[in-house]
This record gives sequence, structure tokens and C-alpha cells, in this order.
Amino acid sequence: MTDLAFDAIKPATGSNRTLWPTSLRFGLPNQKLLPWLLPITILTLWQLASSVGALPASILPSPTSVFFAAQRLILSGELQGHIATSFSRAATGLLIGGSIAFTLGLSNGLSRLSERLLDTTLQMIRNIPNLALIPLVILWFGIDETSKLFLVSLGVFFPIYINTFHGIRTVDSQLVEMARSYGFHGFQLFLRVIFPGALPSILVGLRYALGIMWLTLIVAESIAAQSGLGYMAMSAREFMQTDVVVLAILIYALLGKAADSTVRAIERWSLSWHPAYRKGGLQ
Amino acid sequence: MNALPQVSAADIKGAAISIRHVGRSFASKTVLTDLKLEIEPGEFVAVVGQSGCGKSTLLRIIAGLDDAYTGKIVIESEGRDTASARIMYQEPRLLPWASVIDNVAMGLGPDITRQVALIRARKALDAVGLGDRGSEWPHVLSGGQKQRVALARALVSRPDVLVLDEPLGALDALTRIEMQQLLERVWLEEGFTALLVTHDVVEALTLADRVVLIEQGEIALDFKVPFPRPRKRSSVPFVTLEERLLAALLHTNHQPVDYVI
Ligand SMILES: Nc1ncnc2c1ncn2[C@@H]1O[C@H](COP(=O)(O)OP(=O)(O)OP(=O)(O)O)[C@@H](O)[C@H]1O
Ligand SMILES: [Mg+2]
Repeated sequence: MTDLAFDAIKPATGSNRTLWPTSLRFGLPNQKLLPWLLPITILTLWQLASSVGALPASILPSPTSVFFAAQRLILSGELQGHIATSFSRAATGLLIGGSIAFTLGLSNGLSRLSERLLDTTLQMIRNIPNLALIPLVILWFGIDETSKLFLVSLGVFFPIYINTFHGIRTVDSQLVEMARSYGFHGFQLFLRVIFPGALPSILVGLRYALGIMWLTLIVAESIAAQSGLGYMAMSAREFMQTDVVVLAILIYALLGKAADSTVRAIERWSLSWHPAYRKGGLQ
Repeated sequence: MNALPQVSAADIKGAAISIRHVGRSFASKTVLTDLKLEIEPGEFVAVVGQSGCGKSTLLRIIAGLDDAYTGKIVIESEGRDTASARIMYQEPRLLPWASVIDNVAMGLGPDITRQVALIRARKALDAVGLGDRGSEWPHVLSGGQKQRVALARALVSRPDVLVLDEPLGALDALTRIEMQQLLERVWLEEGFTALLVTHDVVEALTLADRVVLIEQGEIALDFKVPFPRPRKRSSVPFVTLEERLLAALLHTNHQPVDYVI
């Protein structure tokens, strides 16, 4: 029995050791660069394909021409302007939608009455794809700021609402009972037990929300805007500036990654108690 | 381990618990019927009984976590208007997001300044032998250490009554014995009234002044444990009593055993 168990375990741990970490353990810098290995390889191949003419510029411009497009737009100040506009729309939408969602998530999570009153309605609204509302939103708000803020707020609302609600509902009831028995009630109970218990789930919601935030904003800007990254890409398409279109796409990718990294940093900082989020823990 | 201090009657500050005709039903199921029990200040009472007989239910009522019962419970501490009862569970129930010392400080409730709370929590941690682990997260501790933290949290407010619901049930045999010794020591030092639910007959007889058996919602058996402390688990009278208690629990007829030494 015991022998069998040992035999089953040994080879697995053995191969784990030799396969992965040895190459990584040679130095920390290696490990830091590793995630970038694939993007850099793709970029190199892409440049090669463009240089030898296998990839026509009308389909996909070479990385260098994208780089020169970026340089041109930065020097004229256009790129910064578009990024700043998009960024502030995203942030404002996230703030508005996120705080309403958080409040409703708290309220419905903490109060059965509130849940019975609101949850069904919210679940019905959730089933409408928010981008399907674009025609209606343009009719209501035209193509000014409000339409974009509305769509982004609506987009970030549900991931944050659902995960806040779920997080609060799944807080360990044994801990709540324990805290109550020590005299914690109301806000104190919320602050010490319920909120920290719900936080991992809330942050998962925030991460989803950030993804949807960019998606919604870019689509909204492509259809109904006169500034912003989505608008930049769309107007470049009209002038066949493929380099600018590709540049815009790359910037989305970078902004998305930046948003994700931000939430990961918040997680690492605020969930440092959580075995799964500790430095060097699971990633 | 420290030497056990001598306790005089004057030191005892635990509360007397008077359980008068207490009943409790869930839906159509009656768990406790007309239960009567008088516990003296500072007494250590072990509660045994088959699984599902209502031991936890009784403890939760005494600890004030359940007020849907009939009858009356009076907890009186001499020289004090209000007696405080604390409960310790089978699980440590530590907040994973609070450091060990903050977990202990929770036992003092929300209305105390952090500075004072930390000083008292540190003392309580010292008393359970974990004074140097205060700044760590609970998840790095072993099961027995977590239970010690839970004990420190229960005791930091110096309660008059401590009710323990199988607090050592999940620990391995060795850690269990260590914890029993710790529990006995703090009980002797602090003088609170202790009510311990346990499935372990030996544990009941090692720690308690008195053992009560709950059956069909009532006290079916109530006797004093006459041995001096610290108790020797292998002495003949101890083992004899252990067999008799086990027989009462399992409803087997007790056969006197002949011991040859
Ligand atoms: N909240 C509840 N709702 C319904 N029934 C309950 C509830 N709590 C306890 N009971 C029932 O009351 C009975 C006694 O439960 P209790 O937990 O007090 O038993 P116990 O003696 O502590 O058992 P164990 O030794 O297994 O812990 C059980 O039959 C249980 O199903
Ligand atoms: Mg129980």
C-alpha cells in the first residue's frame, strides 16, 4: 500500500522539478522576461514578413511603419489627446457604473428586502447585451460624452454588481456568528468581517469590469464619437491608414494589460492574507 | 509548563449558571425538554451525550447565540451585574485577513482602543504560549496553534463563563493532550466557570469536576469526578469510572472489570 503510494508520487514530483523551474531558476531577470518572449518573437516574424514583401502594407503594415505612425501622432500631440480622452471616459464610466453597482451589490447582499425588491429587475436588464443599446443611446444622448459614459457604466455595472452581491452572500457565516458573539454589529461587523470576506470576489468583478470597460468604450467610440482611440482607428480606416489602425489596436492591448496589472497589484496588496495571492504564491 | 497555582475559594470569580426548565424545538423536532442544571461558580462541567442529543444546542443557548428557547437561564457572577459568557467552537474561526494578535484582540469587542486591545491581546497570547506569533497570518499556524489563538481570544476579555463545543475534536491525540493541559491550567488561573462538550470520555474525566449526560432532551446522568488534579488517566479508579461512563453513553450494561496489577 504505502509502497504503491510512494511510487505513484515520486515520478511526478521528479519530472516537475526537471521540466520547468531549472531553466527559470538561472536568474530572476529570465523569469521576468519570459512572458514577453512570445510577443517579441511574433513581432520579429511579422517585421521579417513585411520586409520581404510577403505581407502587403494594405493588409498589415510592418511594425516599423506602425512605429513611425506612432512617432508622427505623438509629435503632433494627437495620440496623447486621444488616449487621454479615452482614458478619462473609461475612468469616469467605471467610477459611475462601478459605484452604483457596488452600492446595489452591498445593499442586496446585506438586505433580503432590498434583494427581493431589485434583484429580479437587475437580472432582466443584465440579459440585454449592452452594445445592442447603442442605437437607442445615440437617439437619447446623441454622440456627446453622455452616450459613452452611459454605455461604459452599464458595461461595468454587472460584473461588479454580481460579484459584490455574491461575495457578501458567501462570507463564512461561522465567522459572522463568531464576530457577533464578541459584540460586533452593524458597521463594525461589516468593516471587520463582511467586507474583507467579500473582497476577493469583488476584485474578480473589478477585473471583469475592466475588460468590458475597454471593449464597450472602443465600440462606442468607433460608432459615436469625435475623439478617442476608437474614433482615431475608425477615421484612419476611412483614409486607409492601416498603420494607425494597427497602432490603435496595439494600444488597446497595452491599456487592457495595464488595467489587468493594476487590479493584480491591488489584489496582491489587499489580499496579502490570502494564501493564493501571496508573493510567490499561485499566479 | 508552569506549575499549577493553588486556588483558594476567594479567587474564584466564575459565574453560577442556573438552567431552569429549558426547552428548545426546531420546527417539529424537540431537542431539549425541560432541562434543569445548576452549575456552581468556577465549576468545570463536561457535557456528554450521543451525537445529535442537543449538546451544541444547549451551549448556544447558554452563550446567548440562540434565544428561541423556553424556560429560563440565569448567569450570575458575584459582585457583578452582568456576567459574560464566551464560546469556543470546534473550528478556530479565526479571521484569515487579520493577524493573529488582531484576532485575539477581537475578543475584546469593537469598543476598545486598539492600543489597549493589543496590550491585553499580547498577554493572552503569552498565556497560551504564542506570544511571538502575534504578527503572523492565521493560515501559517498549525491546527493546534489556531485553537490556542481561539482560546486566547475567548479568554482575553476575562469572561465569567467559557463554553467549549468540542474545541479539541479536530486535533491529533498528542496536541489534544497538550491542549487539555493548557485548558486546565488557564481554568485554574482564571477561575471561570467552564462548560465543555466532548465526545471523549477520557477528556471529560480528565478535565471536569462534574460530568452530565444528556439524553432525550434531559439530564440523564450527573456525577462528580472525585479525583485530585492533575489526574492520572491510567489509575484504576479513573479507568473504572471511564468504563461506567462509556457504558452509560452506549447503553450497554456495565460489567465490573477485574483488574490485576
Ligand atoms: N438550526 C437548526 N435547525 C434544525 N434543526 C437543528 C438545528 N440545530 C440543531 N438541530 C437539530 O437538533 C438536534 C441536536 O443538535 P445539536 O447540534 O445540538 O447536537 P449535538 O449534541 O451537538 O450533536 P454532535 O455531538 O453531533 O455535535 C439535531 O437533531 C439537529 O439536527
Ligand atoms: Mg455539536
